[in-house]
Amino acid sequence: MDIQSYISSGKLELFLLGELTEREREEVLDFAKRYPEIQQELDDLQETMFAFDNLTGLAPSQEVKKRIFSTLESSFILKEVPKPTADRADAKVISMSNPWKPFAIAASIAAIVASGAALYYAGKFQEKDQQFTALLQDQTVMAGNLNQVNQELKKVDGQFDKFVAGIYKRVEMKGEGFEMQKDARVDLIWDQKAQEVFIAVNNLNDLSDDLDYQLWAIGDDGPVGIGLVNEGIKMTRQQMEAVAQAGAFAITIEPKGGSKAPTLEKLVVLGEVA
Amino acid sequence: MEEVQIIAGLRAKDRKTTEYLYDKYSRALYAVISRIVFDKDIAEEVFHDAFVKITKKIDRYEESKGRLYTWMANICRNSAIDKLRSKEISQSGKTNTIDDFVYGMESQSGTQEHIDGIGVKELMIALNEDQKFIVEYIYFKGYTHSEVSEEFDIPLGTVKSRVRAAIQVLKKNVARI
Repeated sequence: MDIQSYISSGKLELFLLGELTEREREEVLDFAKRYPEIQQELDDLQETMFAFDNLTGLAPSQEVKKRIFSTLESSFILKEVPKPTADRADAKVISMSNPWKPFAIAASIAAIVASGAALYYAGKFQEKDQQFTALLQDQTVMAGNLNQVNQELKKVDGQFDKFVAGIYKRVEMKGEGFEMQKDARVDLIWDQKAQEVFIAVNNLNDLSDDLDYQLWAIGDDGPVGIGLVNEGIKMTRQQMEAVAQAGAFAITIEPKGGSKAPTLEKLVVLGEVA
Repeated sequence: MEEVQIIAGLRAKDRKTTEYLYDKYSRALYAVISRIVFDKDIAEEVFHDAFVKITKKIDRYEESKGRLYTWMANICRNSAIDKLRSKEISQSGKTNTIDDFVYGMESQSGTQEHIDGIGVKELMIALNEDQKFIVEYIYFKGYTHSEVSEEFDIPLGTVKSRVRAAIQVLKKNVARI
């Protein structure tokens, strides 16, 4: 038989187009089985027709797909695809399994990774949240401190302005001429208008724990105790109690906590208001 | 997916396989129908019925009697021809020429789908008049080769060889596009 002329007869095309009689169909199939060239030609032609149809066609609308699958929905059976039985010897049978398996595995891995990441970042978040709260607390404390410092600064600034303006009266209290501590010296600064009194210890001997230095303002009504002096803090202002009127200031050594009236025998320094 | 796997999946009424089948073949199968039935709504109705039929009749498909696509395409083609010859559609469709078809495709609002459809014109250009005529009537209008032979008084053997020649040309050009 002349295979080539059979192939070129056009019968194979009509076979594919479904236009042959049953008897002719059987003949084509029989020849295809016997002659690989004819089978090959049939396969090629089918590929061509599919490619042609696929190239020239428009895709049906999504609506149709929805309708088709809703029609088929009830007929789907949820079961594993059985192993195909190969009828064609040349048909390649690769292990079927579910074609979506790789995607399912990939999706599972992605899900696990995502869950892990979620947990990790949730932990991180909590940690950061705590750190953030701590920082907020710190910040509040700092703000409070800053506020305090600002007020201090304002006060000092005001005091400095007064000093520059010459409002303060400076009284140097000295130990010269007294028996207690010849070299003792304490400076006193007094804003008469605001009645504020500060002292700065320049030199005072340390006292035993049961004694205190006490500052006295000596005015028209006699000496008035205006606070205890901390001899340990030197060359720095110590604010004392308010004084409206005084002719002189003095410091005596008194029992711990101070006395109502000065012990004149233990007068350490004295300074007159100029 | 191999053809044997698709067939096995369809016989098992597996939804995923059916979806795969749809995604791979719906465009080509719909093309088979829509080149015979021009009305979009009717073509889609025919396609719906044909596709459902394919999944229902898959048990009767015999691998030894041809490839899956050929079988499916024939179901679609026959469904379209049946529809065309039913009372629902007048024969006016058969007076359309291939140019109308090509023009009709191009005149539709330009979507991604239609860009691919332009390929049909390129493919047709490669055919000579006789081949174009055959393709038009057999491929696009659903005539059988014996109908063409009778109606246009062309010997059956000539129709066959022209079908063959036309598909050979298309084969070359399909590969080229």
